[in-house]
Amino acid sequence: MLFLLILVMLAGGICALLAERVDARLPRWIALITIVIDAGLAATLGSTPLSPDALAALQGAPEPSAWLVVEQYAWVPRFGISLLLAVDGLGLLLLVLTLLLGAIAVLASWQEVTRRQGFFEANLLWTLGGVIGVFCALDLFAFFVFWEVMLVPMYFLIAIWGHEQRAYAAMKFFLFTQISGLLMLLAVVGLVWTHYAATGDWTFNYFALLGAAAGSPWAGWLMLGFLIAFLVKLPSVPFHSWLPDAHTQAPTAGSVLLAGILLKTGGYGLIRFVVPLFPDASVEFAFPAMLLGALSVVYGGVLAFAQDDFKRLVAYSSISHMGFVLLGVFAFNELALQGAIMQMVAHGLSTAALFMLAGALQHRLHTRDMSRMGGLWNQAPRMGVFALFFVVASLGMPGLGNFVGEFLVLLGAFQAQVALTVAAALGLVVAAVYALVLMQRAFYGPPGSAILGMADFDGRETGTMAAMVLGLLVLGVHPQPVFDLTAPMVRVLLATLGGTP
Amino acid sequence: MSGLQALGLVPLAPLLGFVVLLLGARHLPDRVVAVIASTAIGVAALCAFIAGRAFLAGDAATATLTLWSWLAVDGFAPAVRLHLDGLSLVMTGVITGVGFLIHVYATGYMRGEAGYARFFAVMNLFVFAMLLLVLADDLLLLYLGWEGVGLCSFLLIGFYHEEPANGYAARKAFVITRIGDTAMALGLFLLFRELGTLRIAPMLDAATLAWPEGSPMATLACLLLLGGAVGKSAQLPLQTWLPDAMAGPTPVSALIHAATMVTAGVYLIARTHPLYLLAPDAQFAVALVGLATLFIAAFSALVQTDLKRILAYSTMSQIGYMFLALGVGAWSAAIFHLMTHAFFKALLFLSAGSVILSLHHEQDVRRMGGLWRRLPIPFLCMLVGSAALAALPLTSGYFSKDLILLAAWEQGDAGPLLWGGALLAALVTAIYSTRMMWLVFFGPLRTEPHGQDGLDMSLPLGVLALASLGGGWFGFAVVADVLPDQGIGHGADHDALIAGVTAAVPILGVVGALWWYRSRAGVGVDSADAASAESAPARFLRGGWGFDALYATLLERPFVLAARANRRDLVDLPFALTAATARVLHRTLSATQTGSLRWYATSMAIGLLAAFALALGLR
Repeated sequence: MLFLLILVMLAGGICALLAERVDARLPRWIALITIVIDAGLAATLGSTPLSPDALAALQGAPEPSAWLVVEQYAWVPRFGISLLLAVDGLGLLLLVLTLLLGAIAVLASWQEVTRRQGFFEANLLWTLGGVIGVFCALDLFAFFVFWEVMLVPMYFLIAIWGHEQRAYAAMKFFLFTQISGLLMLLAVVGLVWTHYAATGDWTFNYFALLGAAAGSPWAGWLMLGFLIAFLVKLPSVPFHSWLPDAHTQAPTAGSVLLAGILLKTGGYGLIRFVVPLFPDASVEFAFPAMLLGALSVVYGGVLAFAQDDFKRLVAYSSISHMGFVLLGVFAFNELALQGAIMQMVAHGLSTAALFMLAGALQHRLHTRDMSRMGGLWNQAPRMGVFALFFVVASLGMPGLGNFVGEFLVLLGAFQAQVALTVAAALGLVVAAVYALVLMQRAFYGPPGSAILGMADFDGRETGTMAAMVLGLLVLGVHPQPVFDLTAPMVRVLLATLGGTP
Repeated sequence: MSGLQALGLVPLAPLLGFVVLLLGARHLPDRVVAVIASTAIGVAALCAFIAGRAFLAGDAATATLTLWSWLAVDGFAPAVRLHLDGLSLVMTGVITGVGFLIHVYATGYMRGEAGYARFFAVMNLFVFAMLLLVLADDLLLLYLGWEGVGLCSFLLIGFYHEEPANGYAARKAFVITRIGDTAMALGLFLLFRELGTLRIAPMLDAATLAWPEGSPMATLACLLLLGGAVGKSAQLPLQTWLPDAMAGPTPVSALIHAATMVTAGVYLIARTHPLYLLAPDAQFAVALVGLATLFIAAFSALVQTDLKRILAYSTMSQIGYMFLALGVGAWSAAIFHLMTHAFFKALLFLSAGSVILSLHHEQDVRRMGGLWRRLPIPFLCMLVGSAALAALPLTSGYFSKDLILLAAWEQGDAGPLLWGGALLAALVTAIYSTRMMWLVFFGPLRTEPHGQDGLDMSLPLGVLALASLGGGWFGFAVVADVLPDQGIGHGADHDALIAGVTAAVPILGVVGALWWYRSRAGVGVDSADAASAESAPARFLRGGWGFDALYATLLERPFVLAARANRRDLVDLPFALTAATARVLHRTLSATQTGSLRWYATSMAIGLLAAFALALGLR
């Protein structure tokens, strides 16, 4: 079933590519339908108990009951490479987020794209396929393949449909992720080799490799290989500088996918691979990692404040918000970890919505420069209300999902590391500064030069926005279903650290 | 439905009002908006009354109503649960009662303004958040209300959003209070780490078990909570946002920046007072913060020229009295003053609003004067309000402020100091109240007023005037048993001299100020006042003792400069340099690809020679 999810995305992409010859408006419908089909398939996940085959594939898993769906296909048996796909609560949650934001990305670019619509939608679906693979793959080789698969179509999205400096931004994005991906590949090979040296078995199986690094003198270096790849993706200071360019230059759908989902693969990688594969090294590295997290929170926020470009501001705010994820993961307690997961989901929604807003503004005004905006509230009140909502969500207003995430991260991190938590909490003040400045410069004040005659949100845009509003409200006042979903895997993870969960 | 079930409707009604107004903003006519908004608060007040009666009829000290479990992660299980006891009942009564009157008044005041529905939507949302704040059973839910009122305050200060200065004032209010809120959040983290829960009652019990008196943990937690309280309640050192917050419409100033939200800090400390009993140092810090603020703000109020800013500084000063009361353990005196202040300050703001409206939004007191005959209702109301503010005997403000001053006197060694400072400020309060009344209502008429209030505005004024006059008579009975008091015995015998001086000083202030203004009536009060207002000390006081300039120099400007300087992100530099180096190398090397055979042969020969030389040399 998981493999089918990926295949549907890849096939949908090919259909969209071909359909362009029939009608230029057909590809976006195909893309939307493909995602809906996938969502329908995904809705059945976890409803049936695991088969004996699946249980066999879980051999070595510390807590097999935490896994909801498992499937395995042979691939290169000689080196122990298989297509092992599995999701637990975390995987399922991110899968749902991926499909939801995928649909939103399609809707967000409904009228924006005017050239080569077929190839555009194909790249979008292929990116989604790659991301789904990343969230499911538990064979390190397969994981690496999907990791690369999601980058290439994303590169095209930025390079072909991006804004003024798209070539520069796309190349920067590609180089950062490629080089860090190379480090991860080296670390994967090193880990597999360590396991081979100890047991004489070649395997890329996640469960088999779980204890492989224990006691190895190379464990710290191998962990760094994974860690850097994921920190680049998250991104964390000092590996973040690809993100403002990529986000700003990408078309709206690309920004939505990047901020909403691709960044989450970094957080996912930390939780799924770095900590469980290298528990000892992770604990040793906890302080520097939390330091980078707190630094990202504050540094990203300060940089966001200084921007004139609407999208760039939101991009830097993402760095700030993802800092909370890093802080939470390395605090190693249930509160902070659950907070980090919640933060990933909530940030996915709120930032995707802000990028969609930025896209809508750029489409109407042909500028992202806030110094030319102002007074939009009177011109487009519906847009103003939505902007206010997501800005307020992103500064961590209680009652919305982002607050639950950030509060739990800080609450948990405070138990682990007081000084860094205090530093990160300063980010709450900085967030208020940049978020409200955004509101002021774009929506309040006297009308700017560019805004005359601008149209408000239409029905499609209002509906998309309302869905995200609803999502953040539900996460904010009743987040428990999410915590229940991820609780088993969180406890397993903390148990492997030997700490008290 | 049992009476206590009505408690759930208390916050629900304003929330529903908000949702309806938000969704219907552009479809509902103003009159419908007005009815919905006022009804929502009226229903809340009614439900609060029903729930309160049911609560008082029972004999339980507290009642709770669990709505749903918010979240439960690893022992952290805050619920959305309402908690009713004497303290929250008093607060709920003030919020819904005064809130209702202000809503009714505002339906008239805001008539014809653009954004009518937006205004009332946010007002309703504010009341909802404020009610959650005082009814919360858990500090996390309290924090939700706490941040919610901050957001509404931001939205309403910046209500006239076309004017950038209003936006600045709104952001200033939000960001400065957020600094306090962050301290408070850290306090919550600390309390949870040490005590394992944020549910208020069990948390307080656990604290008294876990911490001895004077424990550093308790002191730290109390100071962090105090950080939140000074932010929200505009006390030193986070007080600078309140005067600028007057950019909002006047009913907003009355509701949020006088009667309810700014007293949230007082409520927070009263609510967690068992913690402060464990931390005498922190509690004394509360008293000092209160004393310093009431003193500083009273002098600032003396020289303001903007009617609303006079009232803003006086609010700051009166909340300082409440903090002083909290600091000396006179918990119920603090809540008593909170209540009477809500009455008379709402009254003052609303009648000031009527004056301002009839003068076409003129707020400068130097351009007012002689209005008492022309605007009799606002005049009488403001007279009542000012008398209560000055604490003239038999008004509500007299009863509550008297209690605070006497409690301060009894506070051990520091008592006389606290009492003396607060009494001096009380004298100043009487003087600036008189000055305000004089400049606005007496002397020559300087601006012609237009129009009179409708019934929708006069009626709330009348009710508030009655409450401001009579609030002292029934008021203390309401709050007396809400909180156990430390140090003040009700009706205990005070030193007659001290009590007499305390009561006499405000009268002295009023009489003295009246004499001063009367004696200068011939030479023109306005010019005398104006001349003294331009002196350097007056400018210093009017600017709020230089705090704005200080913070701008120390915090705001360095932050903005640093952020601007680094807007292109220094961290990108090494990466950009790497790329640039690669590009230079690429150009250099590709420059050798000339396609000229002679050049290739030469370079090959040089290379071979070099290789040989190297090989020989290495031998």
